[in-house]
Amino acid sequence: MTYRLPKKDLDQTLRGWANQAEVFVPQKREGYAQFLPWEAGAELLLDEPHNTRFPPKDFFLPQSETLLTYNRKLSQLEMPALQISPRIIFGIRPCDARAVALLDTVFATADNPDPYWQARREQTILIGVGCNQPATTCFCTSVGSSPFDHAVLDVLLTDLGEAYFVEAFTERGEALFANLASADANDAEQADKIKQQASALLEPAFTTDNLKDHLDQIFDSSLWNEFAQSCLGCGICTFLCPTCFCFDIVDEAQRDERVRNWDTCMFRVYSLEASGHNPRPSRAERTRQRLMHKFSYWLEHADQFGCTGCGRCVRYCPVGLDIRAMIRKAAATPSEVMHAN
Amino acid sequence: MTELETKIRAEAERLLSESLVDVVIAFRQEDAPLHPQPAFFTRAEELESLAYNGLCANNLANYLTRYPQETRIGMVVRGCENRSVNALLVEKQHTRENLVLIGVPCEGILDWRRIVALTGENVFSVEEKGESVCVHTRENTFALSRVELLHPSCQRCLHPNPISADVLLGDPKPEGDPHLMRLRIAELEALTPAERNAWFKHEAERCIRCYACREACPMCYCTECFVDHTEPRWTDSGVTPAGMQAWHIIRAFHQSGRCTSCGACERACPMDIQMTYLTDKLNLDMIDAYQFEVGMDTTTQPPFATLTLDDKNRFITQGKRS
Repeated sequence: MTYRLPKKDLDQTLRGWANQAEVFVPQKREGYAQFLPWEAGAELLLDEPHNTRFPPKDFFLPQSETLLTYNRKLSQLEMPALQISPRIIFGIRPCDARAVALLDTVFATADNPDPYWQARREQTILIGVGCNQPATTCFCTSVGSSPFDHAVLDVLLTDLGEAYFVEAFTERGEALFANLASADANDAEQADKIKQQASALLEPAFTTDNLKDHLDQIFDSSLWNEFAQSCLGCGICTFLCPTCFCFDIVDEAQRDERVRNWDTCMFRVYSLEASGHNPRPSRAERTRQRLMHKFSYWLEHADQFGCTGCGRCVRYCPVGLDIRAMIRKAAATPSEVMHAN
Repeated sequence: MTELETKIRAEAERLLSESLVDVVIAFRQEDAPLHPQPAFFTRAEELESLAYNGLCANNLANYLTRYPQETRIGMVVRGCENRSVNALLVEKQHTRENLVLIGVPCEGILDWRRIVALTGENVFSVEEKGESVCVHTRENTFALSRVELLHPSCQRCLHPNPISADVLLGDPKPEGDPHLMRLRIAELEALTPAERNAWFKHEAERCIRCYACREACPMCYCTECFVDHTEPRWTDSGVTPAGMQAWHIIRAFHQSGRCTSCGACERACPMDIQMTYLTDKLNLDMIDAYQFEVGMDTTTQPPFATLTLDDKNRFITQGKRS
């Protein structure tokens, strides 16, 4: 179903939802957009060209999370109660929602689902707002998506100026808008036009034809050394990435908790083994891992790229390493240079 | 290409073509107008992409410790980078004879986040014209004032000129006003301890522990950082208040007598966390208590790295307590 939500009624709509669920909306705090709980008078940040600085993956996979507590004297383990109250994330961008769908292939598999992820996913409704004006760092169309991709969204909103054109894709999403007037053919037509215009603003960042095979062939190229020269080896690109999900499990013995923390392949200690051997000893292997995972290994396990083109890594890399340029360079590297180093 | 870029390129070309260095560390500009990249030139033919402008945000001295002492390095250095190189030489991290410092008096680094905040997202090019900065976006052109775009550390910079470069390109700039850094620290010191604690927590607790501040810093070159130790463990591993506060306070303390106030840590931070107030305070203490300013020569050890018989020993009670 499609509806029309006049912008002047948005505040009232959010107020209504806030009675039955925790509602998170993008707001400016500390100078940048963050998902924060909606409260009366909250100033929504919905028309910025870029998304929130911190990716919304932490709604489902918190950066640090207690998996269980233990009592050494009694030899007892206890899993924390996962009582997640219903949540609505309003204003999530299509690229970030798509990332949640990608992460479902890791954490919500039929045979071995992650209960922590699942509990949060089931309780969370995702309402997306498409991107009328993608930023220069955006490249969703180059990785098989678009500024109005509705992947796992319950509802997608298109900004028509005075109102939003509302498309509901799930029952629970539909229930939230059921009291609104239906959209008319004119709204639908206008929305289509906006979607096409937005996609047209995004030029192809690179070609993905044969990309996986090519990357596999240049695994031993000296190209990775070139990237590693300037790479600082910090965790910005992976921590701000909506699809990076690596974690480390640590026993915080002083408080008797087993904790799961985000980890990143960009850190030296990530792949350091107990023996002292490190299979990825330098930044060259580590920068390669990041690209290979997203543009080769993901295809093997999910048949999709592990990148949604959100552009956060491009925007915040402190040395200006742009994943789009890296892929273009990789694509231009002939596979004959194998074993060059 | 600016006149200064031409001069830097010519000098780099001379060093490489005459085989005086093995690598020239400078900047290059690719597609992203707001983000010039550190670049490592080994052949004169590659120098076409060499760039230098106000958006070159990294401290290039950071890359010095990646090379063996024998590597002959040419490096573009501004005031802070030159002092960072000196501080590293004090710590014997390279050999001065194997360095050629291409000095550039610095006009201060432009904070790309300030630019984007004023112009919006879609920046296509940035032109610096003296005191004004012209920014072209998808929709508009903005004429902005350079002073307002400077990164806070650069606004407070004391020594914009390289102090021991082998060649100096461009005109020297006036020295900075020492009052500015004192003023900022004095403002924080005027707060009550509870207010200062709240300020510290507010900044530290936005941390996502990506360690960009560490990796962007020339002086953070430990092979294994204390946060990565597992036996013993020094801090909580997670993004807990205890873990994040421990990181920020210990990182700062490890910089005592070593930090040149370049601000590369803050420029790298993805969460806009202020952290130079900690190191600036330590730097002022070093000046006031020990008359020591970091990186002003290549031999004087930082006060906390030395023990001399005439130490003030103010922390140790000598003789009888009265």
